[in-house]
Amino acid sequence: MTALLVRRLRDLVVILVIVGTMMFFVIRLIPGDPAQAILGPTARPSDVDALRASMGLNGSIWEQYLSWAGHVVRGDFGTSITYHAPVLDVVAEHILPTLTLAVLSTVISFFLSVAITSWQAVSPRNPVARTLDRLSSLGMAMPDFWISLMLVLVFSVTLRWFPSSGYHSLLSDPAAAVPALVLPLTVLVLGQTALFVLTLRESLLGELPLAYLRTARVKGLSERQVMVKHVLPNAMMPLVTQLGSNFAMLVGGIVIIESIFVVPGLGHLLMGAVSTRDFPLIQGVTLFVAVLFVVVNLLVDLSYALLDPKVRVS
Amino acid sequence: MSMAVAASVREPSAQRRAARLFRRNRTLVVSSALLGLVVLTVLVLPLFLPSVSTTDPVHRLLPPSGAHLLGTDSYGRDVLARLVSGGRASLGLSALITLCAAATGMVIGLVSGFYRAADAVLMRLMDAWMSFPAIILAMALAISLGASIWTELIALTVIFTPFTARVIRSRVLGIASRDYIGAARVSGMSRPKILLVHVFPNVLPLALVQVVILSAAAMLVDGAMSFLGLGIAPPTPTWGNMIAEGRSYLVTAPWLVIAPGVTIMLCVFLLNLIGSSLRIAVDARARTLNDLRRLRVRRAQS
Repeated sequence: MTALLVRRLRDLVVILVIVGTMMFFVIRLIPGDPAQAILGPTARPSDVDALRASMGLNGSIWEQYLSWAGHVVRGDFGTSITYHAPVLDVVAEHILPTLTLAVLSTVISFFLSVAITSWQAVSPRNPVARTLDRLSSLGMAMPDFWISLMLVLVFSVTLRWFPSSGYHSLLSDPAAAVPALVLPLTVLVLGQTALFVLTLRESLLGELPLAYLRTARVKGLSERQVMVKHVLPNAMMPLVTQLGSNFAMLVGGIVIIESIFVVPGLGHLLMGAVSTRDFPLIQGVTLFVAVLFVVVNLLVDLSYALLDPKVRVS
Repeated sequence: MSMAVAASVREPSAQRRAARLFRRNRTLVVSSALLGLVVLTVLVLPLFLPSVSTTDPVHRLLPPSGAHLLGTDSYGRDVLARLVSGGRASLGLSALITLCAAATGMVIGLVSGFYRAADAVLMRLMDAWMSFPAIILAMALAISLGASIWTELIALTVIFTPFTARVIRSRVLGIASRDYIGAARVSGMSRPKILLVHVFPNVLPLALVQVVILSAAAMLVDGAMSFLGLGIAPPTPTWGNMIAEGRSYLVTAPWLVIAPGVTIMLCVFLLNLIGSSLRIAVDARARTLNDLRRLRVRRAQS
């Protein structure tokens, strides 16, 4: 367990160094002077110089890199140009909507896919279960930005059931928050459930011919008991792995969905930072996402230990 | 007598053999044919349609009709013509991205699987790379290099490379431990030559499957990129930017959004089908699982 934590910590450092360095240099690829680009062609030279100094753009690129890295190591991600506040504070303000979407959609998709797959496995003849199972390959093909617009067209514009945009905190105003969350969550859940069902189905099929199931049946367990107590826990491992590796995709989807449904989360923040060229904020958000990725994968590793006694022992 | 029976069992007529081959790969044949049809349409049909840039202020936002099969957009341009022409950009760019990502991923996967020293460094890099939400990297590149077809090509190639590299690497690891590789080394063959002559051809089928799966993903990300205004810019139509342009008229002219969306979905769906049936043909584990699934369904039905 300690070895695992140490390895993950090492991964965290490696990934942060690579991602941070990559973003640092990608942003410096911009032709011309970023300070000039931010302030526009009509800016006074003294303002451009001041901004350049405050962005740490004086000196050679290596000096800039070292000074930036030095600040990041001390937890100083710089000051956002548009928000006039420390990047970390701005990120903290926008984290909750994104986390709400990510966690809720993943949890719902997880249980939905387990339910659909095991239903299909227990009663392969049931037409509804089979249709749901087949729909998953269609779900994989849906562009999430397009499905969002279709849902808005049907459920907000035509039927007027749910608002087409907006966000309220689940904690302070649940009555307004839940309807606003329905459509964005549905889009995320559709895509993720499709992926999870395909993953789970494959690992479930791989478990079915194994001998321990015959033992379970011989000792008199019903097909349902075999499925729930023996097959599912074993088939769950690849799905849990998928949860971790899908995280980057999920964040990518959330960025698009937040911009469509006007949810003031990290994706919205990032899109805004991109359009206003707020470089410290872009760097801060991307580094933060990378940290989240490592944390999610650490959780995945820890849950292996819960699910699989073999990992616990070794 | 028994010989004759055995012979008839062993050698079904050519017709029956073809029928069985088709039945086993029905999905593959049908979905490839349909995708071929889409590609053909995109290549040939623009010759017979009005120009994509002909604006007609009088006939704005017309619903689908005989004159304009998919209606017209806010500038009075024919949506069908734009859809077909946009297909050239969307399909072409996705194919290009896929080829580039598959080529770079192939090289990295081969080297990383075959040279243990390079493996540790390369795979750690790939992990970091994959931890990064694709769209964010693409956005960063698009603002720093300016949104263009080349930026998108670079960004998406960079994004998809590690996925191919990982799959190829794991196959190379399996091949590298085979006896014939050892035999080749004992016979004095140099390592680069072994990699080229013995490992590469064995990885090729899997790489092909990977290309198809990748192209489906590339189409989706490409659509999202041009939807967000980070890909090919209007007035050149792509399916993604057509959806983005139609978004403002979602209520009054929903066909502007529906047509390109359904087209993207159809293409991605077909590519996924081709990919999974090719995988069944190439990958033994996938084939076993597929046979098992069919068996279960058949048993349940009887």
